[in-house]
Amino acid sequence: MTNGWVDIKNTDMMLIMGGNPAENHPCGFKWAMEAKRNRNAKIISVDPRFTRTSSVADQFCQIRAGTDIAFLGGVINYAIQNNRIAHEYLVNYTNAAFVVDSDFKLPADTDGVFSGFNEAKTSYDRSSWNYASAGGAKAAAGTAAPAPLPPMPEKVDFDLTLQNPNCVFQLLKKHYSRYTPEIIERITGIPKQEFLKAADLFTSVRKDGDMKKAATIIYAVGWTHHSFGTQIIRTAAMLQLLLGNVGRAGGGVNALRGHSNIQGATDMAGLYDTIPGYLKVPTPADGSFDAWMKRTTPTASKPAPWESWNYYSNTSKFATSFMKTMYGDAATKENGWAFDYLPKVDRDYSWTNLWNDMYNGTVKGMLAFGMNGVAIGPDSNKNIDALKKADWLVVGEIYQDETSEFWKSPRVIAQGDMKQIQTTVYRLPCAGFAEKDGSFTNSARWLLWKNAAVPTPGDCRLDQAIVAEIFLKVRDLYKKEGGKFPDPILKLSWNYTVPMNPPLAEVLKELNGKALADLEDPVTKVQIKAGQQLPGFAWLKDDGTTACGNWIYSGCYTEAGNQTARRDPSDPSNMGVHAGWGWSWPANRRVLYNRASCDVDGKPWDPTRRQVWWNEDQQKWVGNDVPDFKADSKPKDHMGPFIMNAEGVGRIFAPLAAFADGPFPEFYEPIESPVENLLHAARSHNPVVTKFKDADDKFGTPQQGFNVVCTTFRLTEHYHYWTKNNPMNVQLVPEPFIEIGAEMANEMGIRGGEKVKVSSARGDYIAKAMVTKRIKPMLIDGKKTYQIGIPFHWGYRGIAEDEGKTSLKMVNALTHTATDPNAHTPEFKGFLVKVEKA
Amino acid sequence: MSQTDQAVPAGHVLRYNFKERITHWVAAGSYLYLLLTGLAFWSPWCFWIAVMLGGGQVSRMLHPWMGMVFAICVVIMYVLWASHMGLTENDKKWFKEVGYYVQNEDEKMPPAGRYNGGQKSLFWGFVVCMVLLVLSGTVLWFTESIPWSLRYLRYAAVLVHASSALLTIGLFLLHVYMGVFAERGALDSMVHGDVPLKFIKRYHPGWYEELTGQPASPKK
Amino acid sequence: MSQATLRVQKISGHAGSVPGDDAQREYAVCKLIDTTTCIGCKACEVACMEWNDLPFGQTVFDNTYQTMPETRWNYWNLILFNEHEKEDGSLMWLMRKNQCMHCADPGCLAACPSDGAIVQYTNGIVDFQQANCIGCGYCITGCPFDIPKMNPKTNRVFKCTLCADRVSEGLEPACIKSCPTGCLHFGSKEDMLDIAEKRAKQLREHFDFPSAGVYNPQGVGGTGVVYVLHDATKPELYGGLPSNPSIPWSVKLWKGPLKWLGNAAMLGGLIGLVVHYLRFGPKEREETIKEAHEGAEP
Repeated sequence: MTNGWVDIKNTDMMLIMGGNPAENHPCGFKWAMEAKRNRNAKIISVDPRFTRTSSVADQFCQIRAGTDIAFLGGVINYAIQNNRIAHEYLVNYTNAAFVVDSDFKLPADTDGVFSGFNEAKTSYDRSSWNYASAGGAKAAAGTAAPAPLPPMPEKVDFDLTLQNPNCVFQLLKKHYSRYTPEIIERITGIPKQEFLKAADLFTSVRKDGDMKKAATIIYAVGWTHHSFGTQIIRTAAMLQLLLGNVGRAGGGVNALRGHSNIQGATDMAGLYDTIPGYLKVPTPADGSFDAWMKRTTPTASKPAPWESWNYYSNTSKFATSFMKTMYGDAATKENGWAFDYLPKVDRDYSWTNLWNDMYNGTVKGMLAFGMNGVAIGPDSNKNIDALKKADWLVVGEIYQDETSEFWKSPRVIAQGDMKQIQTTVYRLPCAGFAEKDGSFTNSARWLLWKNAAVPTPGDCRLDQAIVAEIFLKVRDLYKKEGGKFPDPILKLSWNYTVPMNPPLAEVLKELNGKALADLEDPVTKVQIKAGQQLPGFAWLKDDGTTACGNWIYSGCYTEAGNQTARRDPSDPSNMGVHAGWGWSWPANRRVLYNRASCDVDGKPWDPTRRQVWWNEDQQKWVGNDVPDFKADSKPKDHMGPFIMNAEGVGRIFAPLAAFADGPFPEFYEPIESPVENLLHAARSHNPVVTKFKDADDKFGTPQQGFNVVCTTFRLTEHYHYWTKNNPMNVQLVPEPFIEIGAEMANEMGIRGGEKVKVSSARGDYIAKAMVTKRIKPMLIDGKKTYQIGIPFHWGYRGIAEDEGKTSLKMVNALTHTATDPNAHTPEFKGFLVKVEKA
Repeated sequence: MSQTDQAVPAGHVLRYNFKERITHWVAAGSYLYLLLTGLAFWSPWCFWIAVMLGGGQVSRMLHPWMGMVFAICVVIMYVLWASHMGLTENDKKWFKEVGYYVQNEDEKMPPAGRYNGGQKSLFWGFVVCMVLLVLSGTVLWFTESIPWSLRYLRYAAVLVHASSALLTIGLFLLHVYMGVFAERGALDSMVHGDVPLKFIKRYHPGWYEELTGQPASPKK
Repeated sequence: MSQATLRVQKISGHAGSVPGDDAQREYAVCKLIDTTTCIGCKACEVACMEWNDLPFGQTVFDNTYQTMPETRWNYWNLILFNEHEKEDGSLMWLMRKNQCMHCADPGCLAACPSDGAIVQYTNGIVDFQQANCIGCGYCITGCPFDIPKMNPKTNRVFKCTLCADRVSEGLEPACIKSCPTGCLHFGSKEDMLDIAEKRAKQLREHFDFPSAGVYNPQGVGGTGVVYVLHDATKPELYGGLPSNPSIPWSVKLWKGPLKWLGNAAMLGGLIGLVVHYLRFGPKEREETIKEAHEGAEP
């Protein structure tokens, strides 16, 4: 989230799309209701199904799953056409005025792709996706292989009147002028009048250029689970920049994370292509620490009269401190801070790839902790087939889950090859969340410490104890037997008071970082002694005198103690800041980019919702929140509020390597869709999507009879695949079902409670039909199209499952493995099925 | 009914055989229980009766079962006596003159048969009330099984049960009064089964005539 | 103990006065349910189960998100889900938390024959005392909201207690505590009605609900649970919430006129018979009977 849960109470308008917070985040949803109650805020709910969120929305639009970019692009078009944009914000705080390289071409001009598309490699040469240099000179691309992208120009050409036909704003306007209400109706199935009503309502916050109101966009995995998920979120971000809603209380683009600690997982490098704090992983081409830093440290790129802090220019401080945490004294300036110890990532190692590798026999074993891989991944059948080929599988869980019993899945039983499976499965009883201490990082980036409520039962052990023991045993083996390259293991820092069971508070202290030598701030003369905890990331150094496991978490565990354990509920400004409640990254700042909540002169757009402001007397930025800005940068210096971007401004146009599939989002159909792309039939799908071509990776078409759009979802009453083991949840919703619109059911002669079989090109799923008025048939390009939804909480292990009361299948047997090229997230939402009576 | 299954003293006629008597007294016993527990449920001022009888739960539990016993008795009595209980022209006359009966001026009454009009009405009153009580009682017994959409059945049941119970109480009072206090000898007949012909002659002249072929009342 | 006794202002099946009646200044408490902000999350259902330690029951799929068709003896708090298509074709998915309404004039209590099985505290909470329940089910008939449910094993009736145990300790009911959206409020009846009316006004003026209003039916003397409804003119849409509930006419008739009539008739009858006996005596005196027995027919 750019903002936070509590901050939602400050909003005037909510677009909730690709998410169903009333059902999946009911506690956080209280703030949406607060906004409704206290500010008369409105909710627009756009969803393939009328959900419990829709039930409290002021407007509902039923959208065909996977057409979100068309809808959002249409809203952008509507805002521009009706002049409902934040002009001053747009010119000064975004790159709208930046002029783009003349070689850059939009999909309208290039048959549905952006300039630089390489058909054979199905990838883009992104060098034309750049700004024009003020001098007109073009930066040359590097010569090393593979050719790195050219840098962004130091001085960007710009036009504050936004009239230059090649400026970002004009390109934006041109690009989305194609997203007319008529075409949106044909693509999304939302009738033109309803779309216009929704667009009018959402953009009404900028009626007549008024900047006081703020609108927020709230989403969840309904956006990320697409073969273009990142670009949907991009579109939302652009819309919010256009309307001047980013950095504002009650504004922003807000991702609702689906688990209590998913934010923490990504912060701590849950993805293969980052190290903690979103630093990019080194690749084999980097060669040395310095080369790695040179590649990953941006240089400022901005209009000459403006300033850009370009905070990521500090990347080497973050990375050096990280290396000192990892390898301690073994990381020296001479050995490039132990650069060689870090694994180098040479390709895509995302989730589906790992399973694909196991499927193809190259991954031989798996440690599965805190996830039920067979159930949560796309194409469960493929994943089960993959596990059959593994040598071993270790599952750490609190229940006997589908993954640890993959060999008992109905499909394996049906195939009768259970006895041929050679995989050795080790099941380790782990601790449940209430049995562990540690911190959660919630969607709002707040780290909240919790204590263990109850001891672990029986033989159960904490995850970290299991991992530590494995590590220590492996280290002993390396000690004894040497090995090819033992140093990264032998020299890893492991200075915990209980090495076999590292206390999580010590790990958190490590993440916060400490001084390795006496430090002194040159301005304030504040001193920090060697060994003391650091107060924040501003103290990090690239000379090896600081250690910090995750720079964005620096400040969470200082000399003053564990900041994440703070529980002071006070909120003097009544803005939902609660500065003494837990601790949020970065620097306990609650709303990111909050400099943008003020006009160019540093005065809040809305004096009644003051977040930060320029204090003329003190000559610095002050506020109710921690200013996300260089504290002493005078407004007249025109430093951009988006300090993490090299440009200093918000990116409406995302240059160069930012995205794999385009600097502007373009609407592409899901990999399986009932129609050709109405914008460009020849280029229906995301041209750079990641797809596998194995036997289990099949895709269906309407011609083969797969003509119903299907999406998956969660219920309030269940939590993933766990709660089917809990009698309370089972009582609330006892068995799986399939939501089918009343008209479709009527046509097929299906009544509520009758069994229905849903099949995709990959597998099938049988459950009872829930016939509902909440899903209506859609007219897609004039053709009546049906859409269904399936909650995914069931499988072949659980209370009802063990009693033989449910179908024992998993919904993800239906889904496919094509993924988004940026985030590598599979397309769980919006695929094709056929529906028949079972 | 059979006159041969029991020795009867001379000058006596068997009026109620053993089967009839036992049925009557089982009915009487169960009715008394129903009356007492029913009264306990009827009014807080009588709830102490339920306490005396083992508590509200026990009373409530046994009441419907006792009701079944009573209902079965009434059914048996119906089978045994219904044929005698047809209202005749004579009975109608009897009712017209019932004022004399009340004032114990029976000689002014039209001659009653084996059962006089009042007794017959009592019989039918109990039969009808029993049917109503069983029907409404079943609804009350299984209130929860009556779907909400048919809740008017519940509503009707409470009224019908209470009203018909009240009616039986009226009948019961009369019956006891007549049998024990007013018509001396009647109780005896229900205990021993036989009645002297004199008694028949006095109270059931019609029947007397039937039995002896002689007119009971030379006055008329 | 004296405190607890004094907190009672109405007792079912009770002869004589009520200890707490007219003895305290405690105000009526009230639960406010704003259906316009209910998201059907069922936290209240779970909290109710947890706090009251109710045993789990079996449920089956019934083509709805609703946990079960109606409340049960061991499930006192149930959100009713109803899909309603408006005239303009747009859909409303109405969710209403259903539980005991804690009527000021409770039909269950009126119908109950058992002394002390149902009480109304001076704060307005209507509570079942299972120890005194005789299992007659009259409360089921008396309730216009179909709330009391019998445990078939023990023949005792159960329903929401408005967490009388919590409230007496100064806490809010468990459902209120668990509600994430603030759709549930708890406080004095006066305050709740005030909040409810303000919210209804807001819905009429700032949102698309011109008929929004408060449900506090006077047919049962007002309720200890009040609703804010999107459309107060059509409470039936919310899973059959009666638009003008009252104690069933037959129960009123039964517990009112019929009772007096019956009592009068019974008493009158008894007196009448005694008077008759005294006035007219038996039809024949003792000696006549003896004679009859002795003097056998010739």
